[in-house]
Amino acid sequence: MTSRTGAPLRALGPAGPGSAGPGSEGQRPPWPVVLLALYPSAWRARYGEELEWLVSDLQEGGRAPLPMAFDLFFGAVSAWITTGRGALMSERSKDALISVLWSWVAFAAIGAWFGHDLGIYPTAISAQQIAILHPAVPDAYNVLMAAGSFGVLATAVAALAFAFDEIRYAIKTGRRRLFVLMAVPVVVAAAWLGGIQLLPANPTGGALGLAVGWLLLGVAGIAASTQAVVTVIRTAEFEPRTWRIGGIAAAAVTAAMVVSTVATIVWGVVERINQSHTGDASGWLIVVAVMAVTSVRAVIALLRVSSRFAPGAADRSPAST
Amino acid sequence: MEFTEPVVLVLTSLADGPKHGYALAKDIESFAGAKLGPGTLYGALSRLEERGWIEALPAEDRRRPYRITASGAESLTRHLETAQRVASTGLSRLELRPMP
Repeated sequence: MTSRTGAPLRALGPAGPGSAGPGSEGQRPPWPVVLLALYPSAWRARYGEELEWLVSDLQEGGRAPLPMAFDLFFGAVSAWITTGRGALMSERSKDALISVLWSWVAFAAIGAWFGHDLGIYPTAISAQQIAILHPAVPDAYNVLMAAGSFGVLATAVAALAFAFDEIRYAIKTGRRRLFVLMAVPVVVAAAWLGGIQLLPANPTGGALGLAVGWLLLGVAGIAASTQAVVTVIRTAEFEPRTWRIGGIAAAAVTAAMVVSTVATIVWGVVERINQSHTGDASGWLIVVAVMAVTSVRAVIALLRVSSRFAPGAADRSPAST
Repeated sequence: MEFTEPVVLVLTSLADGPKHGYALAKDIESFAGAKLGPGTLYGALSRLEERGWIEALPAEDRRRPYRITASGAESLTRHLETAQRVASTGLSRLELRPMP
């Protein structure tokens, strides 16, 4: 194993005299550990256990508990101050962006399936009849398409901003792996769309199995591509401006998801109550359920960190401290 | 990011390879004679990780090692070069100073 700078991963040093760890096998954690309760919960969630081990190790190594207690107290004060402008909040913002990204990808995938062919309109003739009888249906369709396009546009703008920063970061730090990760979505999309051209338009028999397999492969490709993007977001450093763009895009995408979900519900309900339709509603219900769950997930993620995406808060992202 | 003493000490300690908290504390004590408290040490670690100058490795025996990143090494190099110039200038001027 090697370090990033190419140096071999050397011995990590002594495991510590208290290698059994705090609170293990009848050992009680040293009393200064109680001061960890003074730290912000997010900070504690990230570093609490490590710090507890360190306190235990240092005490086992002969460090006096009282100075450690004072140090932990002032460390907690400092953590409260820095948490308001530092890493943990940035990590939350990053997590929120990633959560919105996953939600949006799942939403877009089910939306594409829905838009392609889910039998909302069983035939072109019945679609025309429904449109005449219920003007809300084409309206809902138009809203769905507009909101979807808006979401895709917001994603594209954010993707360009993040890609630009990521390329600069990868060149600066020599992390070629990031280029590979960035190429994953492009290669997967090209391979999948290229492959689908080879499938028959109306597959039957063995070709149908192949088509289903290709569809599942596409789902796996979407998941792999998203994970590659998530890894890039977690690894590279981005400018405050880029985080702001990401935050705005996340809000725009989430709004598009909510509007699209409502439009799909309206579309389906109005169409279903039309007497001329005899199709199965299960497909529409599945689509609506996925859309609703992913939309709610994105909304919750944004609400949790809404203040973090505000102008100025973005300036406190990792790249700016 | 401000180069506080704990930040410099942690980066310097990590310059020769990854270390977890206790190993960092012992190493810093050995080369700088400074006994960093646990709160001070993890305060520095959290700020450095936030800045991307160090990164956490998978925990080993529930102790998480950290390693310096390329940007961290670059920043430390720049800081130490400046500090070296200041130290050299200060020492040479002290030598030239007429003794009272």
